[in-house]
Amino acid sequence: MTTQLPLSPPPESADEGRGDRPPGWLSKLLGPLLLLAPAGVWLLLLLVVPTVMILELSLIPGFRPGTGTVSPYGLGNFLTIFQPLYLRVIARSILFAVLCTLFCLLLGFPVAYWIAILSPRRWRNLLLVSFVLPLWTSSLLRSYAWITILRPSGVLNGVLGLVGAPRVDILNTQLSVMIGLVYNFLPYMVLILYASLEKLDLRLLEAAADLGATPREGFVKVTVPQTLPGIAAGCLLVFITSLGDFVVPELLGGASSMTMARLIYNQFLGATRNWGFGSALSMILILAVSVSIALLLKYGDRDVEKTV
Amino acid sequence: MSDSKAARTTPASPIGPTAPAALPSRWQLPSWQLGLTLVMFGFMYLPVLVLAFFSVNESRFSAQWTGFSLRWYQQMLGDRRILAALQDSLSVAIISVIIASVLGTLMAVGLSRYEFRGKGLYRGISYLPLIIPDIAIAVATLVFLASLAVPLSLWTVVSAHVVFCIAYIAVVVSTRLSGLDPHLQEAALDLGATPTQAFIKVLLPELMPAIVSGGLLAFVLSMDDLLISSFTAGGGTTTLPMEIFSRVRTGVRPDINALSVVLILGSGAIAFMAEFIRYRSDQNRLNG
Amino acid sequence: MPLRGSRSSHRYRQTAHRLSSSRRRFLQLSTAALAGTALTNCARNLSTGGTSEQASGSDADTLHVYTWSAYVDDDLVQRFEEETGIEVIFDIYDSNETMLARLQAGGGSQYSVIYPSDYMVEIMMELDLLTPLESDRLPSTSDLFDQWQSPAYDPGNEFSYPYAWGTTGLIYNEAELGDVEDWDFLWDNQSDLSRQMTLLNDVREVMGMSLKSLGYSNNSTDPDEIEEAYEKLVELRSDINSFTTDGWRDQIVVGDLLIAHAYSVDAIDIIGENPDLQYVVPSSGATVWTDGVVIPSTAPNVEAAYAWLNYILEPETAAPILSRLQFATPNKLAFDKMPEALKSDVTLFPPDDVLANCEELGDIGDAADLYDRYWTQLTS
Repeated sequence: MTTQLPLSPPPESADEGRGDRPPGWLSKLLGPLLLLAPAGVWLLLLLVVPTVMILELSLIPGFRPGTGTVSPYGLGNFLTIFQPLYLRVIARSILFAVLCTLFCLLLGFPVAYWIAILSPRRWRNLLLVSFVLPLWTSSLLRSYAWITILRPSGVLNGVLGLVGAPRVDILNTQLSVMIGLVYNFLPYMVLILYASLEKLDLRLLEAAADLGATPREGFVKVTVPQTLPGIAAGCLLVFITSLGDFVVPELLGGASSMTMARLIYNQFLGATRNWGFGSALSMILILAVSVSIALLLKYGDRDVEKTV
Repeated sequence: MSDSKAARTTPASPIGPTAPAALPSRWQLPSWQLGLTLVMFGFMYLPVLVLAFFSVNESRFSAQWTGFSLRWYQQMLGDRRILAALQDSLSVAIISVIIASVLGTLMAVGLSRYEFRGKGLYRGISYLPLIIPDIAIAVATLVFLASLAVPLSLWTVVSAHVVFCIAYIAVVVSTRLSGLDPHLQEAALDLGATPTQAFIKVLLPELMPAIVSGGLLAFVLSMDDLLISSFTAGGGTTTLPMEIFSRVRTGVRPDINALSVVLILGSGAIAFMAEFIRYRSDQNRLNG
Repeated sequence: MPLRGSRSSHRYRQTAHRLSSSRRRFLQLSTAALAGTALTNCARNLSTGGTSEQASGSDADTLHVYTWSAYVDDDLVQRFEEETGIEVIFDIYDSNETMLARLQAGGGSQYSVIYPSDYMVEIMMELDLLTPLESDRLPSTSDLFDQWQSPAYDPGNEFSYPYAWGTTGLIYNEAELGDVEDWDFLWDNQSDLSRQMTLLNDVREVMGMSLKSLGYSNNSTDPDEIEEAYEKLVELRSDINSFTTDGWRDQIVVGDLLIAHAYSVDAIDIIGENPDLQYVVPSSGATVWTDGVVIPSTAPNVEAAYAWLNYILEPETAAPILSRLQFATPNKLAFDKMPEALKSDVTLFPPDDVLANCEELGDIGDAADLYDRYWTQLTS
């Protein structure tokens, strides 16, 4: 997306020759306005202005709708976030996101590697598409399926019971959230790593092998450095999306795993109705995401931007 | 739903033009990667299979097998709330995708054609929905609508969905645009076509595969969205994810299993269609 | 044919330049206009309440109802539609606060009938969200049992009509747990019940339950008492499976849960599925609640709302609904028409000595902030 797109000549150049449009500033503006203004206005109205509004609300301590009172601007909401209770929620969200990213990388890399390099060539596309196919199904239903599996009387315990293993009670714990998150985000990791591994120059590996490198050395010294941009992009993507995820912690987490997204949801559609605090939390979430992207853009390979 | 966000951000086709050669021959051993890949395939499909299994289970409780029955499918088809929700979801997705296809395509073409100050900003804003978590977008839209005292309805959901649909369609169309021959349009103009004619007769057909596959992506995402719909829906509008969410929270009947299977088959079909269109257009581009 | 060369590229730059300044001006102008009108008033608009204007173009033949899951089913809707020709669309909420939140967020403008509980009626009255009921268009309130003739939350039933009442107690698996008598059972058997109990997703009910178990009123506004109740809940927290109003139902039937904090109306429904289950109103007292029906001030279809209210309140048509959906009515005539089995069901109609310790939830004024804060802490 950041690469320069080839520019066609502005249509005005052809236009003026025949003179079928009023000349002057209007005709020159007509094209760009027609093309860019509709989407621009839409995004301005429904994205930019709303974001500025929650920024404003976040600066009104304890703002609640319908109370008839507006307290003066202040940083109260952001200070509230620094209470240990909410810091714990934020830390938990970040921990979930980091662990999820890690697991996705550890599980996703071998899979992507096998599909991109080791599998029979003509099967690769089909294999990849079928691996990510579950992504196209409702994320809600996929999480719900895990409830059926993990609940005390669910499939998992049924299988464990058959082999005589003790029952496990996983649903509504942090472990079930982890399983759900990894399940949901693994395909993205595989997709991005595949795109990166596919471009891997195998002649380099050949050369390394000729020079007497072991497969392990070849992997560490050639494969990993070459796919580093892909790894970075995949990790960032999984980190960002799992950080803001609502469905998995809500459905699989029970009382044990309040996360930022759930907390924000509760401030608006739950019991507490503290819009000011909810807005402040949203701003923090947006900030966290922006910072991780900025870090990637600054230190990451230019190549990565295309993928993100 | 935010998880599906990630998939959308990788418009690059997995079906790449260059497949690598083989690994150095003396490194080729039966690999543990194959084993892990098989396990992971199992992991990805296990929940889907479990849903399918219990959807034809007689018992009301998805706990043990009591016999084969299609009654949950029957019940689902007779459930007015599910059908109404499906209708709402389809309306929202179709209308949003149509609006967003027009706006997103115009935007992508405009961005590829003109240079102006603030272009970076414009482009950045247009990609924001891909990055900002859904919950933040949902909250912001709610605050905006509430402060203008707009009554929430189906149309507020549509207007919010258009925002992220534009972003995804524009990304896919931009990728396609960057691979197009810029001289095509010029040639059309030289041959006496008006800019509008050149746009409709030359550029649009070239972009169509991208618009359709971007539109399908946006369609699926719109159908899958829970958060943004929950925050912007009102007045009796309930999208399918909202209905499923409330049912999952209030205790589940197996008709949800049946519904899942139907939806999975439906979106699986759409997925293959999208991949196919993208594959075909890639082939054309390579051959053409 | 225009030449591609220095001339056109020069013109191109010019266009780009002009575009940039006009584009910028356009951006500035529109931002200023929009932001100016919307933003500066944003907080103020919001603070004065979500009373958005009446939804335009609402259909006279459609009625939107916002209710608890216990009070409607497709059957009821169908019968009503056959009788009146008015199409009914209902949405479900699982706590009073959620309902209020959605209303204040502007998502309630289409609803013409809502079913808030007692204390919420009071809050909604204060927020000017309700329309006074025209008593001559409804069944007479003189048929109600005495305690609902003029309830404290809405003297004279001016804004609400009592529709159902019940208690909040514990539903438990008797075969596994034996007899349960009081809230303290949860704390005394905490480790055995670990992760097999749920509490309601409702700030007032959960705090109220803890307050009652300590011997205080569930309407306490004393910060010390409230804090003590909160501390007691914190002890329990790690063993609570989840806070849910409806989600315990299937789980307790199949045995995933052993005990759940529940409304009596929901409990009786589930006991029918599994005879091992029992419902108890804890002996140290519980909440006795009344759900009323109200017409919000933004109701787009008041005519249909009265048709609906008459249909569900008129003893003749109400009795079949009551016996099918199984909840307790405050209406004497409708009560008389209920089947004997239900009338004598102690889950629905607990004996007076059990009710003696029970208390209604009332509006607690500013203490609500304190409750909310502890609730957030508890559920975070």
